[in-house]
Amino acid sequence: MNSATHPDLDLTISRIISAPRSVVWGAWTDRASFEQWWVPAPAVCKVLEMDLRPGGSLLTQISENGGEFMPHMKGCFLAIDEHERIVFTNSLVGGWRPAEEPFMTAIITLTDHPEGTEYFANVMHRNTADRNMHEEMGFYDGWGTVTTQLAKLAEQQAL
Amino acid sequence: MAKYPQLNGVFQALADPTRRAVLGRLGQGPASISELAKPFDMALPSFMKHIHFLEESGWIQTRKEGRVRTCVIEKKSFAVVDAWLSEQRDIWESRTDRLEHFVTTTHEKEQEQ
Repeated sequence: MNSATHPDLDLTISRIISAPRSVVWGAWTDRASFEQWWVPAPAVCKVLEMDLRPGGSLLTQISENGGEFMPHMKGCFLAIDEHERIVFTNSLVGGWRPAEEPFMTAIITLTDHPEGTEYFANVMHRNTADRNMHEEMGFYDGWGTVTTQLAKLAEQQAL
Repeated sequence: MAKYPQLNGVFQALADPTRRAVLGRLGQGPASISELAKPFDMALPSFMKHIHFLEESGWIQTRKEGRVRTCVIEKKSFAVVDAWLSEQRDIWESRTDRLEHFVTTTHEKEQEQ
């Protein structure tokens, strides 16, 4: 099953950022910089582990309303291509050990753009149901469509 | 995912072909248990387990009128899935906003120096 099977479980975010790739890369990979933008203020983010290599751990904590730091992101890097791509997941933790509550893999891609850098995030979420569901129920285009179509049926029925 | 305790059940309910077929049928309108069970070569207690699973995970509601139990599809489950996905989108959109803001302000300062 490839990611294209579930377009509605995938979030894609594309942004042109007016800065060179090296600067965007630095904001992502420098711990102190990362802490500045990863969570919305006034919450504060703390990076405990950011081991930038395949199998390396990404471990962050969050403090909301000045409270104590609580676990936030616990994941594992899958690919690190200098200045180009970062792939990480919370399906695994550091050292490729399986995680307890997996639900997503994110692919961050940086490419050159005339105005700076094109930042592209593709965040894929898990689907715990098997793919046969789509064929059996006659729905082919992923979760959003499944739910929309079922909801439509339910609404027609409610009339 | 902690804010959506019911989400795992919602997805898990859909992981079974019998339950999906029941939902597909209920999408066309309410039906009694015996009507729903008819297409399946399955003992009633086994079939009832699927009905209970769908009810507990929030996909359907059942009501008893006399001796007949009728099942109806529950729209809230769609909302749970949609709400979770749109929350994830918001998180990543605003995260990207902050990254952009951080990078551009840092970059401008560096260029001024």
